[in-house]
Amino acid sequence: MKNNIRVERAIKDMTQADLAEAVSVSRQTINTIESNKYVPSTVLALKIAKVFNKPLEEIFMLEDGD
Amino acid sequence: MRLKYLFPYWCRFLGWGLVILHVPLSMLGRAHGMTNIMDPQPRDQGIFAGEHLFFICTTLLMSAGLFLVAFAKEKIEDEQISHIRLDSLRWAIFINYLVLIISLVFIEDVPHMLELNLWVPLIFFIIRFRWVIWRLNQSLKREV
Repeated sequence: MKNNIRVERAIKDMTQADLAEAVSVSRQTINTIESNKYVPSTVLALKIAKVFNKPLEEIFMLEDGD
Repeated sequence: MRLKYLFPYWCRFLGWGLVILHVPLSMLGRAHGMTNIMDPQPRDQGIFAGEHLFFICTTLLMSAGLFLVAFAKEKIEDEQISHIRLDSLRWAIFINYLVLIISLVFIEDVPHMLELNLWVPLIFFIIRFRWVIWRLNQSLKREV
């Protein structure tokens, strides 16, 4: 699963630490999600989408192999 | 996801304290001629004999320490930590059974196998869990 959290963060001028605090996870978690090493749970994905005020599909996308 | 069955964060330090305390205590015991109860010896001393009590105390100290270290919460206990925790637990069980099966086949010393079985899952779990977290921290540092 791909995501464009990094882009959305840049638009909102948020750091990884800001986003991590907003969704109550650690910075490591945000970092691994951004670098596609960790797939978040539905709850966390929805929380992240809510922070950016966008639908889930605009932030997380399925890849061919999924 | 909320994990209910974990100890508070400070228990990790208490756990390490118990593990460290176990080392001089056992060395002191051995220096005073107390052998490991698992070693073959006549079993006429009873459950409350000094050596058995000493062994139980030191073993309990070590096990309780490792248990606290392994199952204490992280500072920020989020879903990725839970995921790493579960994955490390799976690896610990795999390794434990591998060691157990290999020692069952090749070693006849059953009492020591029991002792090995007591430490291997917890120690391997702690090493694997901390190693993954350390690697995550390293990759975070590289990005900054």
